[in-house]
Amino acid sequence: MAISPTTFAVAALLVISHLSLLTTPATSLSSDSLLTELSDLQSQSPTGVIRLSDSLLRRIVSLPTPRPFHALIFFDAHQLHSKPELSLPTLKSEFGLVSASFQSNNPNFKSKLFFFEIEFQESQSSFALFGVNSLPHIRLIPPTASDVKTESIQMDAADYSRLGDSMAEFIESRAKFTVGPINRPPVVSKKQIAFVIAVILIWSPFFLKKLIAGNTIFHDKNIWMAGSVFVYFFSVSGAMFNIIRKMPMFIADRQDPSKLVFFYQGSGMQLGAEGFSIGFLYTIVGLLLAFVTHVLVRVKNKNVQRVVMLFVLLVSFWAVKKVVFLDNWKTGYGIHGYMPTSWQ
Amino acid sequence: MAAQETSQSAIFRHAFGNVLSFTVLLLIGVMAFSIRLFSVIKYESVIHEFDPYFNYRVTQFLTKSGVYDFWNWFDDRTWYPLGRVIGGTVYPGLTLTAGTLWRILNSINIPLSVETVCVFTAPVFSAFASWATYLLTKEIKGAGAGLTAAALLAMVPSYISRSVAGSYDNEAVAIFALIFTFYLYIKTLNTGSLFYATLNAIAYFYMVCSWGGYTFIINLIPMHVLLCIVTGRYSPRLYIAYAPLVVLGTLLAALVPVVGFNAVMTSEHFASFLVFIIIHVVALVYYIKGILTPQMFKVAVTLVVSVGMVLCFAVLAVLIALVASSPTKGWSGRSLSLLDPTYASKYIPIIASVSEHQPPTWPSYFMDINVLAFLVPAGIIACFLPLSDASSFAVLYIVTSVYFSGVMVRLMLVLAPAACIMSGIALSEAFDVFTRSIKFHLVGTTQNPQENAGDATKVTQNDVKSEKSEDTVKERSSRKSKKKDKENIEKPSLVSRVEKRLLVLPLETSVMAVFLVVLLGAFYVVHCVWAAAEAYSAPSIVLTSRSHDGLHVFDDFREAYAWLSHNTEVDDKVASWWDYGYQTTAMANRTVIVDNNTWNNTHIATVGTALSSPEKAAWDIFNSLDVKYVLVVFGGLVGYPSDDINKFLWMVRIGGGVFPHIKEPDYLRDGQYRIDSQATPTMLNCLMYKLSYYRFVETDGRGYDKVRNTEIGKKHFKLNHFEEVFTTHHWMVRIYKLKSPRNRIRGKTKRSKSQKSGTSKRSTRKKNPWQ
Repeated sequence: MAISPTTFAVAALLVISHLSLLTTPATSLSSDSLLTELSDLQSQSPTGVIRLSDSLLRRIVSLPTPRPFHALIFFDAHQLHSKPELSLPTLKSEFGLVSASFQSNNPNFKSKLFFFEIEFQESQSSFALFGVNSLPHIRLIPPTASDVKTESIQMDAADYSRLGDSMAEFIESRAKFTVGPINRPPVVSKKQIAFVIAVILIWSPFFLKKLIAGNTIFHDKNIWMAGSVFVYFFSVSGAMFNIIRKMPMFIADRQDPSKLVFFYQGSGMQLGAEGFSIGFLYTIVGLLLAFVTHVLVRVKNKNVQRVVMLFVLLVSFWAVKKVVFLDNWKTGYGIHGYMPTSWQ
Repeated sequence: MAAQETSQSAIFRHAFGNVLSFTVLLLIGVMAFSIRLFSVIKYESVIHEFDPYFNYRVTQFLTKSGVYDFWNWFDDRTWYPLGRVIGGTVYPGLTLTAGTLWRILNSINIPLSVETVCVFTAPVFSAFASWATYLLTKEIKGAGAGLTAAALLAMVPSYISRSVAGSYDNEAVAIFALIFTFYLYIKTLNTGSLFYATLNAIAYFYMVCSWGGYTFIINLIPMHVLLCIVTGRYSPRLYIAYAPLVVLGTLLAALVPVVGFNAVMTSEHFASFLVFIIIHVVALVYYIKGILTPQMFKVAVTLVVSVGMVLCFAVLAVLIALVASSPTKGWSGRSLSLLDPTYASKYIPIIASVSEHQPPTWPSYFMDINVLAFLVPAGIIACFLPLSDASSFAVLYIVTSVYFSGVMVRLMLVLAPAACIMSGIALSEAFDVFTRSIKFHLVGTTQNPQENAGDATKVTQNDVKSEKSEDTVKERSSRKSKKKDKENIEKPSLVSRVEKRLLVLPLETSVMAVFLVVLLGAFYVVHCVWAAAEAYSAPSIVLTSRSHDGLHVFDDFREAYAWLSHNTEVDDKVASWWDYGYQTTAMANRTVIVDNNTWNNTHIATVGTALSSPEKAAWDIFNSLDVKYVLVVFGGLVGYPSDDINKFLWMVRIGGGVFPHIKEPDYLRDGQYRIDSQATPTMLNCLMYKLSYYRFVETDGRGYDKVRNTEIGKKHFKLNHFEEVFTTHHWMVRIYKLKSPRNRIRGKTKRSKSQKSGTSKRSTRKKNPWQ
């Protein structure tokens, strides 16, 4: 009992080696030439991703199994790049990053795993060959796969949810190649960082000198004033809510799509434009009041004072009334006083 | 002679003003206290909500066992089987305050119960807080603004929401501590007195004891110091106000067990140390500038600046390395979500799940600070004209707090005092201008001979202003000599001010403006009283609803907790979602698995997973935790919206965060959360659904959920591993018992099963009021 599996394994091994012995001489020429061609193409591409054409793919597929390399194919379609929900451009650049990182981290295995991309408009027949009808789609062809449609492995959506890192994990689990750390280009390149640091270093003594002398823009209180009022406006308009919840400025009416809804009823939500307009109303009253108490009192002309003040009072009254009205409408609260019953 | 008379009348006026201010302040205190009593009048003298029950329980323990046992208290009634070290994980300020109050009252033979003291702690402290606001605003812009701000703060809805009678939570005392610390800081800044600096550190200590929000202080004050330095406002007073606070404050803060070494180890505190270094460098520069000639100084400045910068960079590098080496970059999740508002919603569902951590929309501002939202910009501008150290602090305070409140709605509470101060300043300035105009016109046209009297008031007014503008002069001599100076200046300034006094507005528009401003104030009062009475007084442990046939009271929670405490063993473990943990331990005195102190995400995720699993899997999880009873809150019968079904997605999310086999999409039909016939099978089979809707169809025959406004999806089903033991009057709390494994096996034989379910049905049917 104990012997039989072993013998079977040995026999299988023998058969395989025989087969490979038999086949290698016949195919080695074509596979060698293809390999060198692919390596050539790989070194030409900046990220090491090879653009796959129908003919090239046919040649790769027609290689007898086991092929000497894995192939990871990214299916791309230019016309879909504009659709944000597919995020094809991001995935494509991440794919390129994984490829470049793999090749720089594992120079010895460069020709064991090739990264390809196929453009839909150029090679529709290849798409049909794999039966790809939705994107994004990434597929790994192991060396042993003879029927590429059924025996290749498709990358799940979960495998590229974390972009390059999860792609690398996929490669590690399925193709047994370690990709190694992914070398992302820094947000600002080293030269830029050096430049910025140099500028700061050169500028800081001058700035400190100015600072000690006391005339930078930080000493201009009007800037501080405008800044603080702006932060106030920004916050009371609920802009943070809009950013965190990614609210649109306005939405189309459900009943009548041609109409736009700017104000949303219900206190748990607000629309962008709505927030900003109320924030404006919140802010304008205070600004006008400050204008009257600090600027208008200095005006000498009585009539100007009179007209401006009337205007200010009207606008403030209107703004407060409007906000009160909108708030009651939006939240549905009925705010009321508590009068003695005998008054009624 | 004349001069003496005027000085005498000035003294009299001064005294009268003081008495008037005192009376007004007293009335403000009374108002602040009494406006918060609506909850007691409308409901009863009862502790509110969730966290206060924990604080109440801790206070009870403190009064019973004393301070030392309190520090060492290990609570085995919660977080079973882990337990919780209460002394080391609780901010003791509130508890110690209430405990001390109780002790004092008892020692003078006023036998109040601990509960009564706890209920009324918050209103008492809001009176203190309004007085502190008066002091703070007085330091910034004078007594008039101070009184206005105190009156506004006494009834600002945002603060009322956290300090009504019964709301026995940290914020109740912390807001007072916050304002008082700021007052002492500004007082030190204005006087340069080391006495106030020491008091400031002690007030800061009290704040650290009371609330985690103390990090706001320890970041705001350094920011202000840095701002003063950058804008060239450095003075020795600034040094005295800041350096002792950092040294003493940090030492004292480290004494509080819950803070401990965090006071020097976490990034929230690093800003203060960095500024501490910077202020020393700057102080050195100013010192050297003082002792050297300008030429020598120019030589020295390069040397000092370069050395200082090298030092700064070195320290900065160390700090950055320290920050970078800790896993969350040294910041706690809550603070991080303030800096990067999208952080929490992405990575920490347990923080994002709490409703008070959501960003507010514009109606929240109108609800919580009401018309103050209109007045604040005027206050900001008034603070810049003229800009002093104190007013720049006020501006910084409002700007930071308004930004933070935009990220997290609970921080509206920190914004409220700032908004009151700003609005107080704005209102007081507006009244100042308008009434001055009216007075000028009336006095000027009708009563020429009495013009002198009018002058005198204006002179005193102007003097207040000149005093303030002198405050802004950087190099200030000592107080005494300044007073002398003022007396000398007073006479010549009288002449110069007579021309300036013409800063007035037309009479009729001023009258209109005063009328409108008073109207605005009246609206504020109406709104605040309404908010206090209607919106913020509900204890949430007792609910009421008013319908056409009168008032309904829903006392289901206490009914359920009482049932638990009377009908279960002392050591039985009760599982529920964490919201009800504190209440269960405090009112039912039973051990819970998780509670509102959400310190252990995994543990909460375990409970979340159990509630989102099918019955058998849930039974296994609960059984492994020794749970005897499971408690769910269900509002479908009476339309109580904050029940467990509405919170359920968070349980799924939190559970799925730790146990990946729980996936949120499984519970959603096309991204929509529903419990009707369109709901997913996973949803209809999860424990939460079953425990909530078990026998629900028997109430009205079709199982109509009044909260979700739909008929439920799965109406008739049996429970195999749980049995219903108690359902409250309005079905708001339902308690289930885990069937023991032996029963389960026996239950498989048909006869005993049918018998069992039959008896249980009959026995529970009695309790069902709807049949």
